[in-house]
Amino acid sequence: MGYKMGLLRTVLFGTVLLTASSALAAELRGRASTQYLWFNNIFDGDKQAEFAQHLNFSLTNIDPDKKLSLHGYGRLSQDVMNGDGLDGRLFYLYADYRDLMDKLDVRLGRQFVNYAAGSSLIDGGMIDLKNIGPVAFSVMGGRNVFYGIDGELTNSKDWVFGTAAYLTGYPTTDAELSYYLKFDKYGIAREQIGAMFRHYLFGGLKLYGNTRFDMASETFDEILAGAKYFVNNNLVVTGEWFQSYPVFDYTSIYSVFAVDRYQEGVFRTDYTINKMFAVRGAYKYQDYGSNTEGHVFEAGLKVRPFETLMLDVAYDRRQGYAGDLDGFTLDIQYDYTPNLQLAGGVAYDVYQKDSMTGNTTAQTYWLGTRYRLNKTMSFDARLQDNVNVGNFDHDWSGRLAFNYDF
Amino acid sequence: MSATSITIGLAASPSTTTSRKGGFFVKKAFFICALLIYGLLMFNQRQSRAEKMSHKDFATMELKDCNSCHKEQGIPLTHDNDWAGRHHQNTDWMGEHRALAGKAGTNCIECHAQSFCNDCHIGGGVNPALRTPNFKRNYMPKNHRSDFISIHPLKAKDNQQACIRCHNQKFCSDCHSRFPKGSLRIKSHRPAGANNQIYAASNWAIDHSAEARRNLMSCQTCHPSGDVCIQCHGSGKVRPHPRNWKAGNFKERGGIKVCLKCHLPGTF
Repeated sequence: MGYKMGLLRTVLFGTVLLTASSALAAELRGRASTQYLWFNNIFDGDKQAEFAQHLNFSLTNIDPDKKLSLHGYGRLSQDVMNGDGLDGRLFYLYADYRDLMDKLDVRLGRQFVNYAAGSSLIDGGMIDLKNIGPVAFSVMGGRNVFYGIDGELTNSKDWVFGTAAYLTGYPTTDAELSYYLKFDKYGIAREQIGAMFRHYLFGGLKLYGNTRFDMASETFDEILAGAKYFVNNNLVVTGEWFQSYPVFDYTSIYSVFAVDRYQEGVFRTDYTINKMFAVRGAYKYQDYGSNTEGHVFEAGLKVRPFETLMLDVAYDRRQGYAGDLDGFTLDIQYDYTPNLQLAGGVAYDVYQKDSMTGNTTAQTYWLGTRYRLNKTMSFDARLQDNVNVGNFDHDWSGRLAFNYDF
Repeated sequence: MSATSITIGLAASPSTTTSRKGGFFVKKAFFICALLIYGLLMFNQRQSRAEKMSHKDFATMELKDCNSCHKEQGIPLTHDNDWAGRHHQNTDWMGEHRALAGKAGTNCIECHAQSFCNDCHIGGGVNPALRTPNFKRNYMPKNHRSDFISIHPLKAKDNQQACIRCHNQKFCSDCHSRFPKGSLRIKSHRPAGANNQIYAASNWAIDHSAEARRNLMSCQTCHPSGDVCIQCHGSGKVRPHPRNWKAGNFKERGGIKVCLKCHLPGTF
């Protein structure tokens, strides 16, 4: 059923695109990417190779007033080695009509909606009412779409609805109050109120925060409060406090259990020394409740010795509840010519899930290149070796992509 | 739980009538305050000299060049001081952006198509950076580092909300259910014969509840129906609910299907 629906959507996707592209005054922009990917399938241990076609487009200037536009993004892939078959994923396909009577923005189709109270990929609609004062309003609703490993897991009764009121027109302040309602086949699965706030002060201080309040458990399941101080153009200091109280769908047995509150405090500094060097450092304190804690340290260095070469090194160390991890990543990117980019990287992590397991390493090594044939065509290649993974000594994977921008 | 149910079931008593009057007054006061604030905001907006402008015309500009305008108005860049001229690579944009992007009418869309969100949040790969890895045909953001299959149990315990920003809770079960039962190494479980595991703890009552309270989502990953929990908690001897449990709230919304897993009809 899911497979047929996916195929149907893909056909619709193509039809709309072809129909739309025939409109004379319309402007069509986007990218088609034809890819060949190979990897080891961790579920059955077999090698797998797939052809995938990605298509992303925006069709604008359809009507004389340039208010209507169409946007689409999808992927179709076919396994040619392991019998995994055809797979499709429609990320979005919607029509956007803006400034209807100078007051309404209307979006219909599959789209990503994001309120402070909740976000979803929906098959439905979203309407914004604006230019009526300092507060604008938004309402959305539709079928709730979510994915598993290989495809949609949505049931026919998965729906979401939401509404929001938000501040508009203020250069230094953003604020929103919103409501999010999620249904599954058993009833209301989630009902939340959300709020966000951002405000600039004194030209260099940014205060921001968001929260979600769960209506059934009557708890704030998420609170973020942060401040960012821009000491100057090169130095940014950040302090954040976050807490969460995990909540589950009301139709799940897990919603009835007591859970602990999780809190974390973050202090972070980003400093651009000069055109060649930039550094960053962060410390995160984690509180899992019941005197259980964790500590995370992060440090990073970016070096750009000359315009075409960039090195990015990041070091991570975490200790405490949930286990220890000590590792780094290194990425290098070199523009050999304006049309040829070479890149490579390493990720090396030593981790210990608990005292019984001892230290284990996880390593990945990758190389990649991008060659631009002309203004519209480019070619990507990437090869990766994943060492010490549970199922394979050397888990080789890679991809080749031919991209066409139109 | 019962106390909540009784309160809901009572007819209106004098005290509840008084509280309703009080509630009406509070609502009225709230409504008046809201109107005043709205009026104040409208007045303030008209006074505002610099209205928030559309960024569409500047979408292709290098981020470092945005400063010339932003500095004049005393507004630091949303994307911070992107030294490398590559958006979002140098600062803590990953953690911070949710406060702003999670807002209706956000102006992200003036520069970014929805594919920009989708490529990180839903696995799209029409224009991935060379450093971006993929799991099967789905692309992963850079916080899925090294061998993420091996290290994700550590990361998933950090902040459980982080996973469900992109993955539905069913995603975890969808993957874990494909492995033979008992084949995954779980910190608190030990092998118990072929194709099985058992929770191992020196003090069962304390250890398992502490672990479950800290990371209940990991229990759900392998036991989505909660069958192992109900074996004991369904007997009624051990109350699993939090102290301020609002049973009525859950019944009103999700129905009684969940309640019936442990309680007999008419007893809750």
